Amino acid sequence: MRIVICAKEVPDPDAVNNYALEGRLVIGDDGKTLTQTSIPRLMNAYDEQAIEAALRFRDASTECTITVVCAGAESGDVLKHAAAMGADEIVSIPIDATTVDYHVMGDLLAAYVKSSGGADLVLCGRQASDDDQGVVPAMLAERLDMPLVSIARDVALTDGGGVRVTRVTPDGDEIVECACPAIVTISNELGTPRYPTMAKRMQARKKQPTVVEVASLGLADTALQPRVTLTKQFVPTVQSSCQMIEGASAAELADALVAKLREENVL
Amino acid sequence: MSGPAVVACTWGVAISDIEELLTLGRTVAGTLGGELRWLVLGALPDGATDTAGRFGVGGVDHIEDAKLGASGSDAYVAALAHYCAESPPQLLLFNQTFQVRDAAPRLAARLGVGIVMNGMAIEQDGGTLRVTASAFGGDTRTVYDLAGATPQLVSVSANAVVPEPAASATSPEVRKVAVDLGGVEERVRVVTPPKREGPRLEDAQTIVAGGRGLVDAANFKLVEELAAALGGVAGASRPIVDDGWADPSQQVGLTGKITRPGLYIAAGISGASQHMVGCSAAKTIVAINTDPDAAIFKHARYGLVGDCLEILPELTRAAKAR
Repeated sequence: MRIVICAKEVPDPDAVNNYALEGRLVIGDDGKTLTQTSIPRLMNAYDEQAIEAALRFRDASTECTITVVCAGAESGDVLKHAAAMGADEIVSIPIDATTVDYHVMGDLLAAYVKSSGGADLVLCGRQASDDDQGVVPAMLAERLDMPLVSIARDVALTDGGGVRVTRVTPDGDEIVECACPAIVTISNELGTPRYPTMAKRMQARKKQPTVVEVASLGLADTALQPRVTLTKQFVPTVQSSCQMIEGASAAELADALVAKLREENVL
Repeated sequence: MSGPAVVACTWGVAISDIEELLTLGRTVAGTLGGELRWLVLGALPDGATDTAGRFGVGGVDHIEDAKLGASGSDAYVAALAHYCAESPPQLLLFNQTFQVRDAAPRLAARLGVGIVMNGMAIEQDGGTLRVTASAFGGDTRTVYDLAGATPQLVSVSANAVVPEPAASATSPEVRKVAVDLGGVEERVRVVTPPKREGPRLEDAQTIVAGGRGLVDAANFKLVEELAAALGGVAGASRPIVDDGWADPSQQVGLTGKITRPGLYIAAGISGASQHMVGCSAAKTIVAINTDPDAAIFKHARYGLVGDCLEILPELTRAAKAR
């Protein structure tokens, strides 16, 4: 079976979060992107987990080829990481990602899947940790006319050639099945993705991505017109109004807080 | 025939979520100079016409079909596509639920129209809809312009809007909208439905949540004990859920539950945006952290600087004593 995984490069969310916690996160001169050069760029962690989900099929001796595709300006490092993790093929669709929206991205990735012989399973991260939109998998599902199963913590093959997916819903785990080809989005509950060994990372450095030019995908000009444009990004401010509870010991602090909450009828 | 300006579409959400969406919808419909309609998929909520009237809805559209109610999104997308073809609004709003996260973008793809998820606010600027959304787990806000064909779609985050009834109530009527879903065969089949266990964090009036400051998985019971003493529910930050100290169903935050309790006690939680998204609507937040500069104190009403491992048991004792 052929598994295609869609990956995206994002600013390291932990670095962004640390800057935000310290109140030092700044938006670049264009007013809409994070340009602090000390924030590393890496593969969206949910996409890494999608690759991990695919590799677990191989671990279970399922015959499969694993292709990781990335549409963006500089996808080299992300794709090398995918190769080091164990992808058989890495594919780059060079495009300035700031000029595309989810429709364009969905159209590009769907056109790639179709033009490369289709896929039995398309795996995506549940959302990208930069914009948090999580829209592209649904776009792909419509364009490829495949069923969509989202927020998976586990994906297994069924005897009938379909997939059985455990979803992390707000009400608890839900187990669903559907026929392949299908699109499944992977959530962080799948678990930590494997970290490639030094030897694998060295090997992956030599691996060249298959480059698929946008022009070769046969998309109409209108398909490349974004409907949604990012015009601005800003860091929200919080008005602090915290009253510190005083006490010489844990017991005193606790008594003071409970007294306060009772006084205010919160308890 | 021109359609309504704004349609607020809901299914499977609490009345408070609906009130938030109708409040936002009414405001935007006002700036667009048109009508707000409320589209209900599936069962009509109790007191629907009363709620609709108080929140200034022009009319309620109701689509009911046995195929709506499935876990999959095929029937919802088909019903919505049909509705939009019949009377296309300029803007279609949704409460962001995990089902809407699948259905709304699929609808956008099918209609070829723009969509923004995690919406917080909507304004109009010279014919362009401008949507402010949350990004980077809440660390930033992104502003998107929507262009091209209508309806444009916005999925609105829980707690983004404070519900506010209309200045003058309306007397909306319920219009049944017939949709033929006979040809829709849900492609995703449920084998084992989720088992909801115990009270839901989303409904809890009191939540005690723990984070990395608990140091060890075994200490999560200190959080559970205080929650029990207060008649509340235990929650957790994402890092300790990832580490297996707490169940994913207990996770509060962007990729977990969005809560709105009266009291939220955050123990050993740094206050990362991704977590605050899930608890910032609490009426009173109490933060316990060893670091007096922790970001959580910026969001809290009351702060306790100290070790939550020592303070939690004392709070449990004090809460039990009357």
